[in-house]
Amino acid sequence: MDIDRADVLLLIGSNTTDAHPIIANRMKKAAKKGLKIIVIDPRKISMTKSAVKHLPLNVGSDIALMNGMMNVIIENDWYNEEFVKNTSLNFDELKDHLSHYPLDTVEQITGIPQEDIVEAARLYASADRGMIAYTLGITEHHCGVNNVFDIANMALLTGHIGREGTGIMPLRGQNNVQGAGDMGCLPNQLPGGVPLTNDEQRLSLEKTWGVPINPQIGHTQTGMLEKMEEGKMKGLYIIGENPIVADVHKNHTTELFKKLDFLVVQDLFMTETAELADVVLPAKGWAEVDGTYTNTDRRVQRVRKAVPAPGQALDDWKILTDLSTIMGYPMSYESSEEIWNEVREVAPNLFGGMSYERLGNEMSLQYPCPDESHPGTTLIHQEFHHNGQGKTAPFTPVHYTEPVEMPDDEYTFTLTTGRRYEPYNTHTQTKYYPDTLKRKQLEETVDMHPFDADRLNIEDGEYVKVSSRRGEVTVKTKVTEEVQPNLVFMSFHFPEVPTNVLTINEFDPISGTAEYKACAVKIEKI
Amino acid sequence: MSERKQVETTCAYCGTGCGLIVEVEDDQIVRVRGNKSAPVNQGQTCIKGAFGYHYIHSKDRLTSPLIKENGQFRESTWEEALRYISEKLSTIKMQFGGDAFSMFACARATNEVNYVTQKFTRAVMGSNNIDGCNRT
Repeated sequence: MDIDRADVLLLIGSNTTDAHPIIANRMKKAAKKGLKIIVIDPRKISMTKSAVKHLPLNVGSDIALMNGMMNVIIENDWYNEEFVKNTSLNFDELKDHLSHYPLDTVEQITGIPQEDIVEAARLYASADRGMIAYTLGITEHHCGVNNVFDIANMALLTGHIGREGTGIMPLRGQNNVQGAGDMGCLPNQLPGGVPLTNDEQRLSLEKTWGVPINPQIGHTQTGMLEKMEEGKMKGLYIIGENPIVADVHKNHTTELFKKLDFLVVQDLFMTETAELADVVLPAKGWAEVDGTYTNTDRRVQRVRKAVPAPGQALDDWKILTDLSTIMGYPMSYESSEEIWNEVREVAPNLFGGMSYERLGNEMSLQYPCPDESHPGTTLIHQEFHHNGQGKTAPFTPVHYTEPVEMPDDEYTFTLTTGRRYEPYNTHTQTKYYPDTLKRKQLEETVDMHPFDADRLNIEDGEYVKVSSRRGEVTVKTKVTEEVQPNLVFMSFHFPEVPTNVLTINEFDPISGTAEYKACAVKIEKI
Repeated sequence: MSERKQVETTCAYCGTGCGLIVEVEDDQIVRVRGNKSAPVNQGQTCIKGAFGYHYIHSKDRLTSPLIKENGQFRESTWEEALRYISEKLSTIKMQFGGDAFSMFACARATNEVNYVTQKFTRAVMGSNNIDGCNRT
């Protein structure tokens, strides 16, 4: 991660201080040494204190803003003409497309004054090294994939990619999101980032495994839930996840799980999801297992066993290999290292050079690392800079589409959801903090602007009813200028306040990610 | 007093990948601190990394396989639980095909667990219905 080499950072849809505190520390430190941070976020998050500029856009108007910025960048010739000529495709199409986003229109959609849009565009485009970091504020929309396309358009237009201190940095929310995908835990991808539809590679894996592999792309989680609704999904196996609390439209998800013939949950605790299962299996947790994780910048690092697990808990992989053997496909690994060595064989281009011994000696290696003498790869996409002899990439023009459920006369507020600093996800682990540990927040709140609190005659700390078309919760009010008027914020950390009964089951058609970031709610005194 | 063991590892919360040192006495974690030689965090930790480990030793941990009978869970052996799952999943695969089976993989488990998870789903269940919380 080379944030400290960048001159300008666009931080968009990421409350880094709360969700990625150590990365935030590096950003703040870099800001003290001259990094110009531009925060693009509906909320006045803590990182705005280290920023040269904050654009508090309306929730879900990211594409309008980015299209407006790119329009300004092209009009003023601030884009990287040489790079665009050598590297990009579809520039003329992008340029025509952006003409639909003049500044006055963009100001109206985003709520950002025109001069601020121009200034942010100028800072990013004219920087020697500009970087974009984003998180779920970009992806958790019905247009999440289009949001990401537009970020890529910005980087391509300015040439801010493939050099130190530039590029696009999606900050991963869980320790091994990157690794789970790399290992093939995706409906369309085999281990090593290989598409399932790549016949040659799939057949090669069939040989290694000694079984045929279904060539049909599977369903995303969202698609699986739809199949449950239709009664076509009969069996579900869940490892270490609590979707009943974590997923949108909670009441609906619970009903869907009840339609299954058979549900297995493998976890550390009897979670809300495990309660619904036919069989619950006790797994070992962090500090009880050996293995590797892959972090947000492709860095593979060791995790090690430190303490024994309670009772009969077993390694997740041990449970699956025992089950597999009973079901007639014997898998018999002696250790996590043996599994990892199979991964290295199956995906040699990425992991071939990463033995446990090397990871032990060198602490971390970034993939691709194809052989034992390879130092790992800190910077990718350098081939964009080979003066027209290297890689090319197309612009993908995208249009702004407003959140699916906008506020109206009855549901007058927009609710946006996210994370807080101390709890983690559904709080099944962080609720065990010792009581002696000083904390900022011990229960969920609905964060509301003083203007709205005054208007509704609600005091800080007062309990209110928040309801959407799907459900309602009772929650304490936190009056704060962190949110804009007409916008409220809640997290889904505390099961006593199941925020996801409120959120809407609308999804991005490509990624299947739900629109956690915007739905309409009303707030009433009780 | 027993000796304090120091184990180098990586944090299991967010995607930053901070290097941690876990200090252990009598098979109990007594302290977690940042690893100064770790490339990502150089010794720093947040509240989750440094203090979020107490769940590991919680009395609420699952310690035995559980099978639901008449709406109530009862303890079982591994043998019984795995045979039961094997029967149920084999029946689903035979009657409805692999596409009637889904796996929610875990983006907090190790690479090794995730590799075996997708191998089980594809090689044993014949299904590509595998996904994780990666999308949220």
